[in-house]
Amino acid sequence: MDAQQLMLFLSPTAPRRLRVIENILVGKRTVSTLYWGMRYQQLPWLGYEKQLSRDEMNRAVADLQSRGDVKLDQTNATLTPQGIQSWQNLMQGRYQPKYFSVRLVIDTATLWQRLLLATQVVSEQSYQNHQYYPLQVTWQVKQFIKHWFHRFHRQELQAEFNTFWTVFFTQLPEQQALLMSRMLVGHQRPGETLGQIAHDFKVSESEAKVIVTDLICQLAKRISDCEADSIKSLLMGLNQPLVSASAQQTLQSYLAGTTLEKISQQRSLKLSTVREHLLEAAIMLPKGQFDFQRVLQPELVAEMEKRLAKTPLDAWQFKQVEDLPIDFWQFRLLEILRSKSTDDNH
Amino acid sequence: MITTEQLYQALKQRFGFSQFRPGQLEALTALTGGHDTLAVLPTGAGKTLIYELYGVVTQQLVLIVSPLISLMQDQVTALNVKGEKRAAALTSLMTYPEKREILRHLAAYRYLFVSPEMLSQDQVLSAFQTTQVGLLVIDEAHCISTWGPDFRPEYLLLGRIRHQLNDPLTLMATATATKQVRNDIKQKLQLPQASEIVQPVDRPNIFLNVETFEARVDKDDRLIELVSSLKKPGVIYFSSKKKANEMAELLTAKTPCSVAAYHADLDPETRFKIQQQFMQDQLDVICATSAFGMGIDKNNVRFVVHYHVPSDLESYWQEIGRAGRDGQQSVAILLYQPGDEQIAQFLSEATVPQENEIHYYFQQAAPRVAGDDKANLIWFYKQHHFSEEQVQQSFAARRDQRLTALRKMMGYVRTPACKRQYIWQYFNQTAGDDEKPVHCCSSEEPAVDFATLGLLDTPAKRQKGDPINQRSAGWQFILQQLFNLNG
Repeated sequence: MDAQQLMLFLSPTAPRRLRVIENILVGKRTVSTLYWGMRYQQLPWLGYEKQLSRDEMNRAVADLQSRGDVKLDQTNATLTPQGIQSWQNLMQGRYQPKYFSVRLVIDTATLWQRLLLATQVVSEQSYQNHQYYPLQVTWQVKQFIKHWFHRFHRQELQAEFNTFWTVFFTQLPEQQALLMSRMLVGHQRPGETLGQIAHDFKVSESEAKVIVTDLICQLAKRISDCEADSIKSLLMGLNQPLVSASAQQTLQSYLAGTTLEKISQQRSLKLSTVREHLLEAAIMLPKGQFDFQRVLQPELVAEMEKRLAKTPLDAWQFKQVEDLPIDFWQFRLLEILRSKSTDDNH
Repeated sequence: MITTEQLYQALKQRFGFSQFRPGQLEALTALTGGHDTLAVLPTGAGKTLIYELYGVVTQQLVLIVSPLISLMQDQVTALNVKGEKRAAALTSLMTYPEKREILRHLAAYRYLFVSPEMLSQDQVLSAFQTTQVGLLVIDEAHCISTWGPDFRPEYLLLGRIRHQLNDPLTLMATATATKQVRNDIKQKLQLPQASEIVQPVDRPNIFLNVETFEARVDKDDRLIELVSSLKKPGVIYFSSKKKANEMAELLTAKTPCSVAAYHADLDPETRFKIQQQFMQDQLDVICATSAFGMGIDKNNVRFVVHYHVPSDLESYWQEIGRAGRDGQQSVAILLYQPGDEQIAQFLSEATVPQENEIHYYFQQAAPRVAGDDKANLIWFYKQHHFSEEQVQQSFAARRDQRLTALRKMMGYVRTPACKRQYIWQYFNQTAGDDEKPVHCCSSEEPAVDFATLGLLDTPAKRQKGDPINQRSAGWQFILQQLFNLNG
């Protein structure tokens, strides 16, 4: 995380909560983080920097402040007029990811480890070399690739991998293809590090990381469309659900018509937890996959909307409607519904 | 009983050597004769060969206690590369099911690497209790003494753990140990009778050079000059990751060399790449921190520079030992600016709790606090039923020991007399003047001429940015190379 990366998570039109930005990057799945992450259109970045520390975050904030790009009100950050200018320049000049939402449904980090190691193994195999230092990967990835190689090594792996990478690189802009190819590891090619690539391509390391991550997301798509079993199977077990398994279970009972109280009893969960599960599902899933109407009766919605009509969504306050017979979680659900229904450019 | 012939046979078959290096056969003979052994062999002398070969000839489980995860992983990889599949490292990076998987199948392994912390876990220890450990190896055994009570106190439990493992045959291996440290190791492992195999620690092909600077900027300039002019590859040590990163950037900008930082913060992919680039001579210089082990042997390192003063001579000797493993002329250069010792003192004292801190933490009833190392350290002693007084005494002694160690280090920096003789004395080894190499140290040759040493780089052999077609090629060429499509 550097100051420029942080800048891109801020908005030229409204203050943003730094804790939300941080929690999204770290990968905290609380309802409040997910809700605001959705509002900031930052959800695809969920868990992008799991190791991000508060210190690192604070340094980036201080950096922006000292340049005069950002003003702080407690932990809300607003861009100054000069900051808005820098923000616009950044939006134009810096690489913007296009495929990050893939991260939410596929464990792309593990996929990259597998693909990188598989490529190395196939490369060494093409030279009939059996004595080499394999990439250091997690135990699981190592075991996976061992089994994978055992299963496929008699096939034309060399040709399949060459074809796969050739097709992938051909459809990329030349610079991106070159960049990614230089990351690869194989026979007498140790591959280059992110830092070395950033240096050679004259971008910051944080931008290089975004580019590579976005390329890995594209790789994931390409692999799932790939016909060769040897390559397609590298994705095995890496699909991940948009909502947690437990929330998924709650959602299914809810969609089957079970009342929240009943779900709470059946699953020995607090009622508040059941509600949080549903909110998580409402935020993460496409609008059509959640039954909003069961929780939000039309008359109630109409009454709330009347009162809230003149307030922009991000300024809605529960106290505007708290005398009505509704709970906070229903209010939040309406916010989610509204966010998903309107093309709000925040 | 294993005969010397069998040892030679295994050496030939397994390693392709017909001769042992000094100390190896002696250590193996002591071990196969059933004697616990403390082996002090200089870096690069092949300490790992001793336990590897022992595993080969006895067909028993060798359990190696090692201080660094990165080092363990490198050693496992090195064994794998040699074709030994039955090697693994049990580390904190593994998940519980993974660990359990290994612990349930101990018999399937020949070489297992663990940290002392891992080995002192009940579940791990009891798994090893149910199996026969053929040889227990305490690698980098000087850590028992030099790390002591303030850092990784589990090292102090190793004596007890050894008993709990039914007193297996034990090899304590290190490259550097004074007589006092050797005694300390044996005492803490409760093996006072262990045989000692001590080889001279000297590395006559390493010229010992100390240079002093008035200002930081002069030191930086000199470093740039050295890196530009000296024969590569080389390693530069720093006390902090931040400085290692900064200087790697500076050297990249100011010299024609390819330079990278190498420390514990690197992710495994980056670490692998840097290591392999260095191994394959595609990287000229590594800016490293001492906390990061380099388990992979690289024989042709021509210089080791220290940008900061290490906190003791053991570490210093260990680190410069990475130079010249091929026996060719090499150089160790320590760049000293008055005041640098304060950084070393600070770093070496930072981990030792002060009297009032010990008292404070002893009053606390709470268990471990995440991130508070000192609280956790004191908690460790409370848990193991030490009294506050014992702990106070032991840390007071520890502070003295650290200060003395630093004073000895500074003695090396400052002595106008022969640096090599200073080292000999420190490690209780005596040798006459006639055993000194022709080119010895900067005390004897103050205006050292690297040309005379044959250590000046012959320019233009390889252009920066072009390590073996690495950077100028297009992706098509890279794929051809990867998948051997040239033919």
